[in-house]
Amino acid sequence: MTLTRRAFLKRGGLALVSVGTMPFWGPSFLQQLVFAANPTQTGGKKILICIFQRGAVDGLSMVVPYGDPYYYQARSEIAIPQPTQKTGAEGVLDLNGLFGFHPNMAALMPIYKSGHLALIQACGSPSSNRSHFDAQDFMECGVADDKSIRTGWLNRALLDCPEDRAKLSPFRAVSMTSILPRTLQGDQEALAIPDLKSFGVGVAGFAPSSTTASAASGFEGMYDSAVGDLLHGNGKDAFDAIGMLKAADPTKYSPRNGAVYPNGAFGRSLMQIAQMIKANIGVEVAFSEIGGWDTHVNQGGAQGQLANRFTEFSGGLAALYQDLGDRMNDVVILTMSEFGRTVRQNGNRGTDHGHATCFMVLGGPIRGGKVYGKWPGLAHEQLFEGRDLMLTTDYRDVFAELSQKHLGARDVSKIFPNHNLNARNYPGLLAV
Amino acid sequence: MIIHVLNRLGYGPRPGDVERVEKMGLTAYMRQQLHPETIDDSALQAELAKFDILAMGETELFQDFRDEQQANKQRQIDRANAEKMSATTASTNSATAQNERPAPAKRPGGEPPRRSYLAVAELQDAKIISAVDSPRQLYEVLVDFWSNHFNIDVRKGPCRVLKVVDERDVIRPHVLGKFRDLLGASAKSPAMLHYLDNFQNSAPREISPNEQRRRQQYAQQIPGAPAQTVDNKPRPVGGLNENYAREIMELHTLGVDGGYTQKDVQEVARCFTGWGIDQRTGEFAFTPRRHDNGSKTVLGHEIPPNGGIQDGETVLDILASHPSTAKFICTELCRRLVADDPPPALVERAAAVFRTTDGDLRQVVQTIIYSPEFFSPQAYRAKIKSPFEFAVSAVRATGRTIVPDDILPMNKRLAMEAGATFDRNMDRIANARRKSLDIAVIEMGEPLFAYQAPTGYTEDSRKWVNAGALIARMNFALALAEHKVVDVSASPVDLIRGVDSDKPELVLDQLNQALLHGEMAVATRATLEKQISRKDPDQASTVNVPELTALVLGSPEFQRH
Repeated sequence: MTLTRRAFLKRGGLALVSVGTMPFWGPSFLQQLVFAANPTQTGGKKILICIFQRGAVDGLSMVVPYGDPYYYQARSEIAIPQPTQKTGAEGVLDLNGLFGFHPNMAALMPIYKSGHLALIQACGSPSSNRSHFDAQDFMECGVADDKSIRTGWLNRALLDCPEDRAKLSPFRAVSMTSILPRTLQGDQEALAIPDLKSFGVGVAGFAPSSTTASAASGFEGMYDSAVGDLLHGNGKDAFDAIGMLKAADPTKYSPRNGAVYPNGAFGRSLMQIAQMIKANIGVEVAFSEIGGWDTHVNQGGAQGQLANRFTEFSGGLAALYQDLGDRMNDVVILTMSEFGRTVRQNGNRGTDHGHATCFMVLGGPIRGGKVYGKWPGLAHEQLFEGRDLMLTTDYRDVFAELSQKHLGARDVSKIFPNHNLNARNYPGLLAV
Repeated sequence: MIIHVLNRLGYGPRPGDVERVEKMGLTAYMRQQLHPETIDDSALQAELAKFDILAMGETELFQDFRDEQQANKQRQIDRANAEKMSATTASTNSATAQNERPAPAKRPGGEPPRRSYLAVAELQDAKIISAVDSPRQLYEVLVDFWSNHFNIDVRKGPCRVLKVVDERDVIRPHVLGKFRDLLGASAKSPAMLHYLDNFQNSAPREISPNEQRRRQQYAQQIPGAPAQTVDNKPRPVGGLNENYAREIMELHTLGVDGGYTQKDVQEVARCFTGWGIDQRTGEFAFTPRRHDNGSKTVLGHEIPPNGGIQDGETVLDILASHPSTAKFICTELCRRLVADDPPPALVERAAAVFRTTDGDLRQVVQTIIYSPEFFSPQAYRAKIKSPFEFAVSAVRATGRTIVPDDILPMNKRLAMEAGATFDRNMDRIANARRKSLDIAVIEMGEPLFAYQAPTGYTEDSRKWVNAGALIARMNFALALAEHKVVDVSASPVDLIRGVDSDKPELVLDQLNQALLHGEMAVATRATLEKQISRKDPDQASTVNVPELTALVLGSPEFQRH
């Protein structure tokens, strides 16, 4: 049987331990990591957190083009009112005279004002495919309408980043989902963990019993001793990961800086991402997702169905940003959605599947406080196929800039094949 | 040899299987397995009769699905209206309303779970029960292989009901027949036509105002169809969709290096224009006016103009008889049945049989499983079990079977399983204390009939190894041994019958024999002995058999077959 590259690297790491040139793996290393003298000090390792808004978010309600006269024409019943000075009234929160946040996105306003949040309006995939299923798949693969690429762009991005010690961490790429999303599928190993609290032998799911602790140590012993077997490395990874988490103790975590995460799976997943980052267990890429954006019927305006989603979404992002505090100097959070929604409201006071939408990028290294992307306008002749927001920023230029300038990928053309990449097309989100 | 055959040409031995095969002779057993129609499986069929959705016709299934979609949309409208009403009433108190959490999308309490949703869980349950209980073990392995080869994700639109038909009428009848028949059935499978978008593949053309009006009338007969508008001038419609054309060559027949070009993809797509689904009945339908009537060239073969539906049939003939197809199919079969890196000489021999027998899959499989390579030491326990293979083999090894959960009503359990497949309520499911085998398989990373990409799950078993999934396997072993998988029966056989449970070494010997056929690795044995001896001597001296069983089932050895 051929040795996988991963298994090889793993053994390389172990060899280093045995000759003592670099204290690398094993419990003592973990202790050093987890109880690092100054946990807020940045290790210099860049981290990217990706959040997928599944179901196609209405970018025109999230970051409202209230200054475009056609906006109110197209959406007589679901438009968000103009900004207002009156307290208590619910209007758009002005950003730059043309755009404004949905009032329920208020939690992000301080981050925008501090210059750490960039909004990219009219962004997305040039594909005109309007199937959630296909469009999500394309976006996660980093392609437009190309079904021959089957691995995820995030996975390829990590493979293209310089190898270093962090590569050997089982937590290098982690998704807070039960099934590994397409974007993390590929040759780089990645973990899918729906909930840190249930990551362990006999800790959740099936009722734990008195034998579980004992059984866990038995399993660990067996896989530890199975040297030479392909399963040995992975078993060891698994128990290393469990050990790392145990040391970080997910049950005793309290967010810092007054951060309050929204209730529910989304807020919890973000809190656990923060927790892993602070535990210094080698996270480079983290993934989470939030659904409920497919608002075909009665999506609401300043209040209602979609407004409620924005509260949870923006509240989660703001809490994560606050909680990570100084660590945000090395962290970028990227939000995406498979496509946008029709400019005109439909017959059910909702919106149907559209084209471009709004992406958000936040973090210490981001040149924020600005709405990126050329505004294509909402007049009938300015619309894509006569119905949808025209695309002016190819999402791959955003992903490519972050891969290259933030994560340090060497050759972005490998990550986004068949896309005409040119650094001049990058939005310019990062100063470097 | 017997263990190898039971492991690879089935889902692992049950207690007594090795002795049974010994008695009838390995050759006779293999011959019988190659001719599943000669093996009585009436007991299994009786067991499967409870899945009534699986027996439904495609038209009924399809219409049902469409009606559900329609009702669902109506419900959304009603619910949103109701919410709006209550929001208006509560607007005096808007400050508190603002802080409320979003209302969970809940269906009204008394409403039964949707049938199309349950179809998915019935499919999964039937697959599991068949793998555990069918005496036609090789047949079940081949069904799994071909269903995965012609992968369809039930989460895409009506595939959740149409896959029922695909599994029953396309895959199962053809896995030991001619490849061309299987390929042809798949090409006309409504599930495949939908999954790989060929129902949208048509020659670009213009439709006259008259035809626009006809379409409008037609659409009005179909509940849920998008509204059609009429212009006063011809309107361009349609266009090629290359998705199926590409995948049928790359994944179903020739393989990615099988010698086709992008031009061939376009030409094949043109040949399949008009192959679609009748939107009223859900059945396969060829629509001549959507077909591209020009001449085409596919892999060097000229296809004359005006061939109609015959163009697609010609493509299927060309692909099924292409030498690259013989090689690709045999490579994948050898990868499944023999080794992750299939021996090239065996692939070549099997491909030769494929070519000379006109793609007779029974003879191809026979060539592979009677080969010295199949019985070579390099192949023995060389593959990692998939999560499904692992779960089923653990149930079989412990002599247990799938039974209805006696606490949850069947529909409720099915709804939960379907929900997990659609990745809904995973939050709740992850923390549920009672789970069924389906959900355990999902947690180990192999939701059945729900692989998103058309590649299907990889046949390279090394890809199954992943730290997170390994933990899930250990948890499953523990749950199974402690009888916490709700739809698995209690142990009808005592694995350590006749062994003095005060003598840990003897218990260990017996479990090694019963579950690993005496092939426990020295290192594993040493760990387990330490495990036993570490027990507090003041406590009851008897061995914790469930724990030890779990450790053996979760051991590296049991992950292989």
